Amino acid sequence: MKAGATARRPFWRRVLWNLVWPRRRERTQPTVSGLVLMGLAFGIGTAAYNSASNILFIALALLLSCLILSGVLAWLNLRGVDWALEISPPLRAGQEAGVGLRLDNRKAFLPTYALWFDFAARPVPLGEPPRPESTLTAKGIDVWAALRRSEEPEASGTVHMRSRLEPGGHAMLEWAFTPARRGLMRVDLVGVGSLFPFGFLRKFAGAGLRREVPVWPAPVEYRRLAGASPRRAEGDLRRARAGHEGEMIALRQYEPGDSHRLIHWKASARSRELLIRQFSAHNSEACTMVLSPDAEVWTRPEQFELLVSFAATLAQDLFRAGRLKATAIGGARPLPVRRAADVDSFLDRLAVVMPQPPADGPAGEADRPARAGQNVLTFEPEGARGVGAYANGHRIAAT
Amino acid sequence: MDTGSQRLSLDELSLLRWLLGGVLMLLSISAVFYMDVGGGVMAALAAAGVIAALVRPDWPARVPALVHRLAFPAIVAFFIGDIWVTGQPLPAIVRLDLLLILYRGASYRARRDDLQVVVIGLFLIVVSGVLTVSILFAAQIMAFTACALALLMVVTIATAAEGGAAPKLAVRGVVPHWAARVDWRGLMRRLAEASDWRLIASGAALFLGVVASSALLFLAIPRFQLENSLFLERFVVRRAMSGFNDSIKFGDITEITDDDSVAFNADISDPGQAPADPYWRMVVLDAYSNGGFRMSPRTRYGYGLVGQRTGANIYPPPPAPGGPSWTIFMESGVSRYLPLLGPFRVLRFREAQNYHYSPDLEVISLVEEPASMTAYRVEGMPADGAPIPDRAFAASYARHGRLALMDTTLAGVSQGDRRVLARIAAGIGDARVLGARAFAGKAIAALRRDHQYSQEPRYPPGPGDPLVRWMDSRDQGHCELFAGSLVLMARAAGLPARVVTGFRGGTWNAYSGNYMIRNSDAHAWTEIWDEHAQAWLREDPLGSAVDGLAGSEKGDAALAALMDRSWSARLASLRVFWYRRIVNFDQQDQAQTLSAVKAAGDNSGRWLRSVLLELGSRARGWATGPWNAGKIGRLLGALAAAAVLFHVLALGRWRLPALGGRRGTDPVRREAGRWLRRVEGPEALVLDLQRIRYGPAPTWPRPADVFRRARRAASSRPRRGAPSRNTS
Repeated sequence: MKAGATARRPFWRRVLWNLVWPRRRERTQPTVSGLVLMGLAFGIGTAAYNSASNILFIALALLLSCLILSGVLAWLNLRGVDWALEISPPLRAGQEAGVGLRLDNRKAFLPTYALWFDFAARPVPLGEPPRPESTLTAKGIDVWAALRRSEEPEASGTVHMRSRLEPGGHAMLEWAFTPARRGLMRVDLVGVGSLFPFGFLRKFAGAGLRREVPVWPAPVEYRRLAGASPRRAEGDLRRARAGHEGEMIALRQYEPGDSHRLIHWKASARSRELLIRQFSAHNSEACTMVLSPDAEVWTRPEQFELLVSFAATLAQDLFRAGRLKATAIGGARPLPVRRAADVDSFLDRLAVVMPQPPADGPAGEADRPARAGQNVLTFEPEGARGVGAYANGHRIAAT
Repeated sequence: MDTGSQRLSLDELSLLRWLLGGVLMLLSISAVFYMDVGGGVMAALAAAGVIAALVRPDWPARVPALVHRLAFPAIVAFFIGDIWVTGQPLPAIVRLDLLLILYRGASYRARRDDLQVVVIGLFLIVVSGVLTVSILFAAQIMAFTACALALLMVVTIATAAEGGAAPKLAVRGVVPHWAARVDWRGLMRRLAEASDWRLIASGAALFLGVVASSALLFLAIPRFQLENSLFLERFVVRRAMSGFNDSIKFGDITEITDDDSVAFNADISDPGQAPADPYWRMVVLDAYSNGGFRMSPRTRYGYGLVGQRTGANIYPPPPAPGGPSWTIFMESGVSRYLPLLGPFRVLRFREAQNYHYSPDLEVISLVEEPASMTAYRVEGMPADGAPIPDRAFAASYARHGRLALMDTTLAGVSQGDRRVLARIAAGIGDARVLGARAFAGKAIAALRRDHQYSQEPRYPPGPGDPLVRWMDSRDQGHCELFAGSLVLMARAAGLPARVVTGFRGGTWNAYSGNYMIRNSDAHAWTEIWDEHAQAWLREDPLGSAVDGLAGSEKGDAALAALMDRSWSARLASLRVFWYRRIVNFDQQDQAQTLSAVKAAGDNSGRWLRSVLLELGSRARGWATGPWNAGKIGRLLGALAAAAVLFHVLALGRWRLPALGGRRGTDPVRREAGRWLRRVEGPEALVLDLQRIRYGPAPTWPRPADVFRRARRAASSRPRRGAPSRNTS
């Protein structure tokens, strides 16, 4: 992403146009030092015109040229600097997350000093957009308040570049924030500011960088009920599936999230790429997790949130134990879970799941495992606040 | 973020901030020494305090908290008391600023305090510049600007290094970490490490940019004068530094001649009319008593030197016939009387002045003693030494004789001395028969026969008037004795006469092309009334005896004898440039400059057009001429060179080599490379050196420590060729 994405106008037209119509969030404000300088310039100018003293005219010219130089240096300082947001999921509700900002100074000659970056994170509204309402009868102050509320971020912060960015150099800054709830989070690099060089002017440049990232549900504590476990399938108890136990059945490429203990070092050295061992699991207790966001069942929003968090926590625990075979949300077809990325995908979906009205007509694909005699993990409300997990109708865990 | 060790740490930035602030304060204090506002002692104290705090930055922590609490009330009380006692606001403000600077210099500063230091310092320097109009102001304001901008930049960088928080004010009584152990040499070394030549070149270019843009702004700022309502000089009471006043005692002028500094510079519009031996009249003294001449009240009132006038232009009632224009830049402290060569057509000040002027006396005096350089332009002022007509005196003399408008009597001389004078005058001849000029010539010849010129006069002992005793002796004397003697001789012979003081001669500055008159050119001479001409004749008893100049020469021949090519003339030419182009710059000059720029632009355009046309016709001729292999080769070579140039300039694929080293290599890496070639072990040291030489900067161990270990290892290694310990 380029600093100040440029319109394709000629340079001077661009400069003149920017003077008439500055870009959004791009502004220059005088600081206290700047106001003092302007006051001094005004006073000295008045005295110069009153007395026709060229000494005062010299002082005035110096002050004005310092102000001009300050603007030129501030412009040079920001020029040629590229910035890019680097956010590496997972972001998890209630847990601190880092937003990376990669800086590159493309200038061949001049370093860049003393920038700061304003970040903001706000949740993306899920579900259907609200219906538009007429503002004809609303008071102006109420409309402004509503607009201000809609602009208010959930989290915001400023990160300073503490040392200079050498010509041709790069740097990495990080902004840490804690998302409050699951959902889709929009992280904005709101602006780039600088007091460089003399602190006379506070210069802001609109960055226009934005990333939307899913925020997974917060982990919850739950009780695993003693003696409760999914039943074994009848007949042949051994099923070959990816897991951590049994014989090694294949090698595959490493993917982020894979355990380092599963790396096949010898094969990796031979092929010059990281390879992961895949085993045939002896486990016949693997189950398919089916989450039903039925709005009639989950009438209380906080209980629904607990359900989602519980499902996310349980899914990760089961995957670590090698007992998660597939996942499904609502009436959708179960998706197999073979590697960490499949669990991540499930959590991504959980991040944005909302209560849905019950589907009319025949049952969807979600009950196919049950029909096939496989273990199915479902959830039901427990009282007004709790959530229970059921494997084939047997309660195995609860919050 | 890549944080190599070549970056300055926060402590180092704080120390640099302290240093720059101290230098800024010293620069500001130095400006006070040039102002005549009576702040010398306080300025010296403030400078001593700031220097002490610079040398030992830990000292401010030892100042008791009570002092900090009482400082501002005490400073304010001092200021109020100062104004109450002296009644002069400007000197009181200057002293207040000095106290504030002293306090800021001896205490740890937050960001706003640094800003206060900059503002106070700028005030002092600008006030000093306005009051003195000295060229030193240019140097001071440039140094101050550079220092202030560097300080503000360091504050900005330090603020960023602290994560956006302004530099913290140290807790009182606690020595901040950066001030605990100060190593200025180490800081300079670190500064050298942290700044590469590109940064220095950029800084220098930017500073030159400030200077250039300031100069352009100075030229371009529209000049329209509102009113002369603000004269900073009015807030200061000044005192004359020279002896050019309306009364002199013998020896006053000689004292001035001991001073070799420049009294004023004079530009002449037509150097072809430049005289070899100009006489710059300043004060006319008529009344004599007891060895001294003074301007009598009769003269002062009779010639209208009492009524104050105000304006920027002076037009004498009968304008002078014409002559070259002169621009005179008179230094401060010379006199409030303006040097003039004689009658003129018009005199223009740079700004409106309060003055006294007598057209008959040809004397102009400013009401206030100018504390700064005074510039004025005199148009139509010939330098031929012609007699000065005096209609007022002529009318009065015709009516009242010796008791005319001016005191031309021997009232201050005793009867016995008058007899001596009468005897001497009789020995010269009858003035009524000879006429004024002939009598003066004979009297001068007699004086020069009996007396030698000397800067160290001798007076014969005895009773009576000292000047009459000297005239009656054969002792040596200076110009005042000669001039005074001629006046008394003329008066004794019945001719009205007076002493005129001013400057005579001077040198021609070969670099700036103007007269340069020094205080050592101060002189006194005589003017004798010529009744027939109804004018005052200039008669100098020393004539060309002082330096042998022929007074009648003009133009190049005259200037050749006065030419000054010394170093002091070179320095003085800078001062003249400052006065001509900066201090004296006005609306008219601005218009002229803009016209000159426009003319230069037009000329350049015409020249460029003609060059391009010429080149085009040559290229056409070359292209239509016969082609051969050499011609094709030259064309291809030119195209290749153009391609390379385009590649280098347009595409920005250029990297200038770092000074004194290989392309773009970090100096720390280079140092590590040098040690790697010198040391062979131990292994840990070699690994550390290799890491610094080749590894990413964030993983470096502290280079200074590694280099120290390397130095130790290199010094403990047996020298090449030296026997090892185990060999016998």
